[in-house]
Amino acid sequence: MNLDDYRTLFASMSLVLILIATVPVIDLVMPFSENGESFSELWLLGPTHMAEGYPFNVGVGEGYSVFVGVGNRMGRSEYYTVYVKFRNQTQPLPDVSGSKPSPLSPLYEFRFFVADGETWESLLIFEILDASVHGDFMFVGNISINGIVFSVDSLSMRDSENNGFYYQLFFELWLYDVATQSFQYHDRFVGIWLNVTAS
Amino acid sequence: MNIFEIKRLCDVDSMSFSKLFFVLFVLFVFVGPIFVSKTFGADSENVVASVIEKAENSVVSAYEAILDAEQIGANVSDLLAQLNVAGICLANARAFYALGDFENATHFANLCYDIGEEVRSEAVELKNEVHKLWVNAIWLRMTTSIVGVIFVVFLSFLVWGIFKRRYQKRILGMKPEVVSGES
Repeated sequence: MNLDDYRTLFASMSLVLILIATVPVIDLVMPFSENGESFSELWLLGPTHMAEGYPFNVGVGEGYSVFVGVGNRMGRSEYYTVYVKFRNQTQPLPDVSGSKPSPLSPLYEFRFFVADGETWESLLIFEILDASVHGDFMFVGNISINGIVFSVDSLSMRDSENNGFYYQLFFELWLYDVATQSFQYHDRFVGIWLNVTAS
Repeated sequence: MNIFEIKRLCDVDSMSFSKLFFVLFVLFVFVGPIFVSKTFGADSENVVASVIEKAENSVVSAYEAILDAEQIGANVSDLLAQLNVAGICLANARAFYALGDFENATHFANLCYDIGEEVRSEAVELKNEVHKLWVNAIWLRMTTSIVGVIFVVFLSFLVWGIFKRRYQKRILGMKPEVVSGES
């Protein structure tokens, strides 16, 4: 190696050290700790707080419980709403392909804030208060969710294939958008099927 | 006098007046409350809706204040926990409003508003406190970087100078050797 080669080597090493010295300032402009993909999680657990034992055969006047949870991986604290909706087999679910929520009105809602990397969970206790069978149809009048009574007035036709009257209790996740100052559907929903039996 | 002739007011006897008054009174007593309650009902519904909207705005302002504080590195977990209570109140207020229970709806909305305002002011205070530390941290980082760069440049020249001198001395100290060729 001649002197010019050594000069190049020294200059390169100096530049690397200068770059290391400027890391604290570069981190201010382009934070290194920023996560890649930002997303939220939505889940539903059974009464034993496990992914099993979900209520399915549901009688009138009996209380059933599930846990609904949300995880925040959005990179900052978020303001969420979970809408609880009730439908029969023919009423629409959220549109998965179009990222649109179900047009059904929510019965109940949870509003909460979750810090980045944290989770939120809440117990939901529901009870079918009145249901009556009229031939091949079932009419569910009222449902109680966490102690508040809601009128659903929902008619369901007997499912001859699965032998029962089926309804679905489902949960939609909405996220508050600071730019539009409103909640937007966050393209996530979970639900459980209920085979309602009138006593 | 023709029996089909309409009586003039002065001809109407006191008995007819009392009948007319009675009929109007009955109408007022039985039908009036319906209109009155509907009017007041609609009014109270609007009032409750505006109270809920005020509570919602309060929660959103608190959330935005928390985001500002979080952006400069403040620990906002306590504030979020407080705001979650406001969220529960707001959800209850909206549920009771939808069910027509305006008393409970107002109660929860007012509670939500109070919590929201409290959290907002705490978040602003926190942001102001953390902002000073944040500015100091930025100055510290910039100073560290500048001092670091100056140190590296100075050190590089120093080391290069020493190295260059030694290198030249080593080259100059070399004696040429005559190697006998094979041919």
